[in-house]
Amino acid sequence: MVGREFQRSNGSLKEIFAFVRGFFRDHGLVEDGAWNVDLVLEELFTNIVKYGRPSNEPIEVHLGYEAPFLTIRLRDRDSDFFDPTAVPDADTARPIVERSAGGLGLHFVRRMAERFEYTYEDRVSTITVSTRLES
Amino acid sequence: MFEIRSLPDGSTHLVGRLDASEVDQARRALEALSGPLTLDCSRLDYISSAGIGLLVETYKRLHAAGHAFRLVNLLPRVRNVFAYAGLDRILTLE
Repeated sequence: MVGREFQRSNGSLKEIFAFVRGFFRDHGLVEDGAWNVDLVLEELFTNIVKYGRPSNEPIEVHLGYEAPFLTIRLRDRDSDFFDPTAVPDADTARPIVERSAGGLGLHFVRRMAERFEYTYEDRVSTITVSTRLES
Repeated sequence: MFEIRSLPDGSTHLVGRLDASEVDQARRALEALSGPLTLDCSRLDYISSAGIGLLVETYKRLHAAGHAFRLVNLLPRVRNVFAYAGLDRILTLE
């Protein structure tokens, strides 16, 4: 896998999207698949920024590809236990006037993911998502 | 990069990527808009849950004032995100 560290801020998103584009280019992947990867990464990364511990520790983002699956891994080296795979799914059947602004991010991740896993050890949270890339 | 462009013909366009790093600026721009609102999304490249949440907020504000809110000319990948959220059956998407 190829990895990079990003500051724990929503302001890192542009660098993360550029990292994804670079990975797709380096691996000869069709760019259309990158939009879903952007979405999964944004939802998981911003979730850590919003709900994770206040910390100066950067967040690691890793990407790997083994056809037809692209694997996304985020490692937060200064975290409390929080398992995003255990969060109940958003109720997308609710009337719009009852919807809150949040709660959809992990729902999107589940829609994209063939595999969605979480591990926690020695204050390190690791989230792994695999998504199928259409050829 | 994201921006809201109002053209001389009266149309309003969402342009670029509406992600979590852009929602604060986008919220200030959308809050300045009132009345029935149609947003042309033909140049909206990307939207995440943060952007969806902002557009739902805008819908609620205008709906409460009795105004229509429509999104038109969505790219298929952007429309898919609305569909994942179950909003394609609720918001007026054209």
